[in-house]
Amino acid sequence: MSSTMSTYSKAKAPGIRQTMSDLHTWTGLLAGWILYAMFLTGTVSYFKDEISQWMRPAVPAQAQVANPAELAPRLVETMSRLAPTSPQWSIGFPDERSPTANAFWRGGKRFESATFDPVTAQPIEVRDTTGGDFFYRFHFQLHYMPVLWGRWIASICAMFMLVAIVSGVITHKKIFVDFFTFRWGKGQRSWLDAHNALSVFGLPFHLMITYTGLVTLMLMLMPWGGDAAFKDRGARQALQNELSAFVPAGKPSGDKAPIAPVADMIRQAQERWGQHGVGRITINNPGDTASRVMVVRADNQRVSVSPQYLLFNGTSGQLLDTKDSVGSAAETRGVMYALHLGRFGDLPLRWLYFLVSLAGTAMVGSGLVMWTVKRRAKLPNPDKPYFGFRLVERLNIASVAGLSVAMVAFFYGNRLLSETLADRKDWEIHVFFMVWGATLLYAMVRPAKRGWIELLWLAAGLLLALPVLNAMTTDRGLWNSLAAGDWVFAGFDLAMIAFAALHAWLAIRTTRHRPKVKPVRKTAAVTDGTAPAPRRLGGVAGGAAAAVAASGAPSGASGSSLSGGTAVSPRSGMPGVEGAR
Amino acid sequence: MNQLWVLIFCLLGFACLALGMERPQEDLFGRHLSRRSITWLRIAGWVLLALSLGVTLDQERWAVGLVAWFGYLSAGAGIVFVALVAWNRLRQPDAKAARR
Repeated sequence: MSSTMSTYSKAKAPGIRQTMSDLHTWTGLLAGWILYAMFLTGTVSYFKDEISQWMRPAVPAQAQVANPAELAPRLVETMSRLAPTSPQWSIGFPDERSPTANAFWRGGKRFESATFDPVTAQPIEVRDTTGGDFFYRFHFQLHYMPVLWGRWIASICAMFMLVAIVSGVITHKKIFVDFFTFRWGKGQRSWLDAHNALSVFGLPFHLMITYTGLVTLMLMLMPWGGDAAFKDRGARQALQNELSAFVPAGKPSGDKAPIAPVADMIRQAQERWGQHGVGRITINNPGDTASRVMVVRADNQRVSVSPQYLLFNGTSGQLLDTKDSVGSAAETRGVMYALHLGRFGDLPLRWLYFLVSLAGTAMVGSGLVMWTVKRRAKLPNPDKPYFGFRLVERLNIASVAGLSVAMVAFFYGNRLLSETLADRKDWEIHVFFMVWGATLLYAMVRPAKRGWIELLWLAAGLLLALPVLNAMTTDRGLWNSLAAGDWVFAGFDLAMIAFAALHAWLAIRTTRHRPKVKPVRKTAAVTDGTAPAPRRLGGVAGGAAAAVAASGAPSGASGSSLSGGTAVSPRSGMPGVEGAR
Repeated sequence: MNQLWVLIFCLLGFACLALGMERPQEDLFGRHLSRRSITWLRIAGWVLLALSLGVTLDQERWAVGLVAWFGYLSAGAGIVFVALVAWNRLRQPDAKAARR
């Protein structure tokens, strides 16, 4: 950046918009690749439960959601058999998005878990898979590293995102005048219009999701307030009680006593919250006279994840405590957390979350590509771009087109890996990362434009073939699921076909893209004396056409569209990256 | 049903606001509308958006509705935007690109 700074100091000091534009460009670029992955995997996580269902095809679609009051006694019986000595069970009931009951419990040093049939309450053997939870966890804690590291990296990227959003709004001076503006076929201008549209229309969501994302990890990011205010064990437990419905198991008395009927407890809760308002029950010291049963409210019907529960004596069945509300600060956090997760939404709302979040993904992708589009026009020698430029263009290919390929590969792994493979669920994840790494290698060895086109076609082909593979490996192919009215499976297959079409369209647009051969620039003419080869010229600008549903014909920006009027001023264009000159 | 009305009001609202702006007017009519029509279009646009908010809040689960409202706002503006782009492309794809 030093060269840029010195240019500034010679001229007058840069205005606020220029400074913000620089800030926007560089925060966006540095965090962009991880942000794109976080955004896309986070986006599909709005259908996490549905993806998990698709990845466990042996679990049949549920006709009717079981009543927790009827199911609970059977589950307690099963658990008494499975984990009689455990100090704590937590049992989750099926809901309309997830057809099985589940439980985790403290067994010895670690937690164990099981999945149960929603009618018989017997454990069922399901395909060993992380399901949609993989994308969900990856989007805030990445993988192959300690969970805390991943969360810190994700948080830093989210903070960069917040900076990029605010500086982007300041930079975009004609936010209202240009509200509906899109200029087709204007190269960099079109990219900017598309990037603006994707950002501005979803702005409430983008701001909300970035800020609330940081709020979900606030105790990790800023623990000092809590540390200073809550010093002893009791105070910390009180804090914990405001944040989650978790009461640690107290000391057992050692005397055995049968568990009081849980069905009655659940019915009391249902009177307050409705039949499907109960999310889980937690039983501390089951089978002991000091037993406690906590009936916890589900968070799928309210815009808050703050804990609400009823606490019962586990042997007498007497209601001991009712947790209805938390303090206002805790509730603020609860609401923000819920806004981020979007679990309270019905189907239309979940689709809105998904689509606007997808626009956010395209916003990040178009921003990344725009960095190269803008600089390509100014390359001293387009045949030999400097190192920083090549690095960015290759990373763009792998992080945008490559991620699509890797995510589909994850689903292929789910269907093709042997059911008896040891650590099967880990191998599904290894497949994802191996394929992603392979796309990066591929992007490095191919010419940029070819790299974009070929990986996009690969993604389109794999996406289109996935429903076929599903029909071959399960009896829940598209025709069957449509006929059965199984909208989770049918919806998944149809979504894959739609995404295949999107990738094919992007690939076709990139292929068709023929930039105008622009007049040879002086610097280029001096250094090599030949006109830049059009094919090479089209490389990145052409690939650029891919990431977003927007760009028109010539991206090889004509001189005029580069100057003045653009929100991101060309002055920020001379990067101080290595080898720039 | 409620949600459908919210979407319709958002769509119409943004359509009016778009028509009240110069660039879409040039694209659609080839000329600028009168000052008077622009004022009315803008008033209509904002009133329709306010109506969509009203419909949203007039229900029991208004908290969820409010979240959805922001989604419908984004969707409404996005659909109007895509419609304008599509209209321009379909009508005179090349002349348009050449003129600007």
